[in-house]
Amino acid sequence: MSAVLYHGEPNGASLTVLAALAQSGLDIECRPIDLLSGERHALPGISDPIALDLCIEGEGPVLVIDGEAMTESVFLAQYLDEAAGGAGLQPADAYARWEMMMWCRQITERLSPAAALLGNLATSQHAIACIPDIDFANLTACIVSDDLRQRWQALKDDVVDSAQIADSETKVASAVERCEKQLADGREWLMGTFSIADLVTCSWLAGMQLLRPCAFAQAPLANAWLARTLAQPCVAAALARSTVSEPLRAWAPGPEINRWG
Amino acid sequence: MDEVTLYHWEPNANSGKPMLALMEKGVPFSSHYIDMLQFDQHKPEYLAINPQGTIPAMTHDGLVLTESTAIMEYVNDRFDGPDLMPSDAQDRWRVRWWMKFMDQWLGPSFSMIGWSVFVGPMVRQRDPAELDAAIERIPLPERRVAWRKAINGDFSTSEMAESRRRVGLGIAKLEEELGKRPYVGSHQYSLADINIFNSTYSLPLSQPDLAGKDKTPNIMRWLKRVYTREAVRKTWAMGKTDLAHRYGLIMAEIEA
Repeated sequence: MSAVLYHGEPNGASLTVLAALAQSGLDIECRPIDLLSGERHALPGISDPIALDLCIEGEGPVLVIDGEAMTESVFLAQYLDEAAGGAGLQPADAYARWEMMMWCRQITERLSPAAALLGNLATSQHAIACIPDIDFANLTACIVSDDLRQRWQALKDDVVDSAQIADSETKVASAVERCEKQLADGREWLMGTFSIADLVTCSWLAGMQLLRPCAFAQAPLANAWLARTLAQPCVAAALARSTVSEPLRAWAPGPEINRWG
Repeated sequence: MDEVTLYHWEPNANSGKPMLALMEKGVPFSSHYIDMLQFDQHKPEYLAINPQGTIPAMTHDGLVLTESTAIMEYVNDRFDGPDLMPSDAQDRWRVRWWMKFMDQWLGPSFSMIGWSVFVGPMVRQRDPAELDAAIERIPLPERRVAWRKAINGDFSTSEMAESRRRVGLGIAKLEEELGKRPYVGSHQYSLADINIFNSTYSLPLSQPDLAGKDKTPNIMRWLKRVYTREAVRKTWAMGKTDLAHRYGLIMAEIEA
């Protein structure tokens, strides 16, 4: 079996999967790629690209196993946990697993697009806008997904929708409140035991602590939990793979905002 | 073990997923039909079960579960019966990937088209004041927006065009996938088949320009395999609207 994990800087979706890999103990080669140079859309040796071409998550990590491109960070974390024979990232009880998956879906549907929008506007929009038009055209020509290409184009064109920004800020604040409420019974981790829910939530919220600190002002439990999660050995190992000084400020076009209902 | 109670609409789209999963596993359940077109899902008696007012919902052992795909995973994990997830980890990843692709990318496009041509026109006939009051009772703001758009026919040209683009592309990719394996994402009937079948069972009738024996032979072969399952027939017999009648028409189309 050949396996390579292509990943961006340890933030957002890439942080989740790098941490899950560290927790799993699996020996899988990791190759950092520059997401803002479009390297994710020119990966070698892929014979089955559907999940890369139509990934909903945006510029997330890609695990290539025997030519098949595997995407979506929550499912990659589950895969790594299960391929390792159970690395403790998923509860054994069926109802607890349902709770964890419901939590992760809320995060990936609501928080992730919001955080990606705010993060990109703050830190990657300028870099994308500076790409010469001809290079940008070549880069985006490699992106198969029309809707992902449009999110790149919106950043290039500096399209700012104030209603979307306000909505995204609300969603970040809601996610923090949700964590605070979940932790109110004194539990250490979101689902009681350390799980993929902690990895996913931390991966999208930690960068927001830097960009929207006011959302965290009344959330001592969430702040303490974030610090605890970032200090977990698997998360620390993922962050240690960073090639920049502040990986939590590294963003690339992310998931789309819900189209309707 | 406490009884399973399922609150559902037609054996279609989201409601059909846990119905089929329970039926495949052989789990007896008490069925509570929630008439979505009468806004039963926003009435106090149902909001007492699921305050978000979404269907389906399931109760078991004093627990309330929501979200159709997540309910299916619970049903498969919790009960005996045939395993509806493959044993190989990469196959399981693929099953999950396809379910998300349907739930969050392709499904909303099918849904937007379905609501604009079916749900909207059906409920639009009623008294506007009564409809307005019904919409005001919807707990989730985004669902209020969705219902208003459906009832008023407010989907923009570009929104509908994007939905049609996604439906065309999604059908093409599903056809490609089913050329690789007999079932969606794996070599066994799984939750991904149940999930995707519930939104594609009528493709030969609803999207004749995109799906059919000549255009999508892999999808048609797969639909036939799924249609002939006993659990599918039993689940469809629980339908109460014209959707159940359409099932017969589609069967005839597939078997012709």
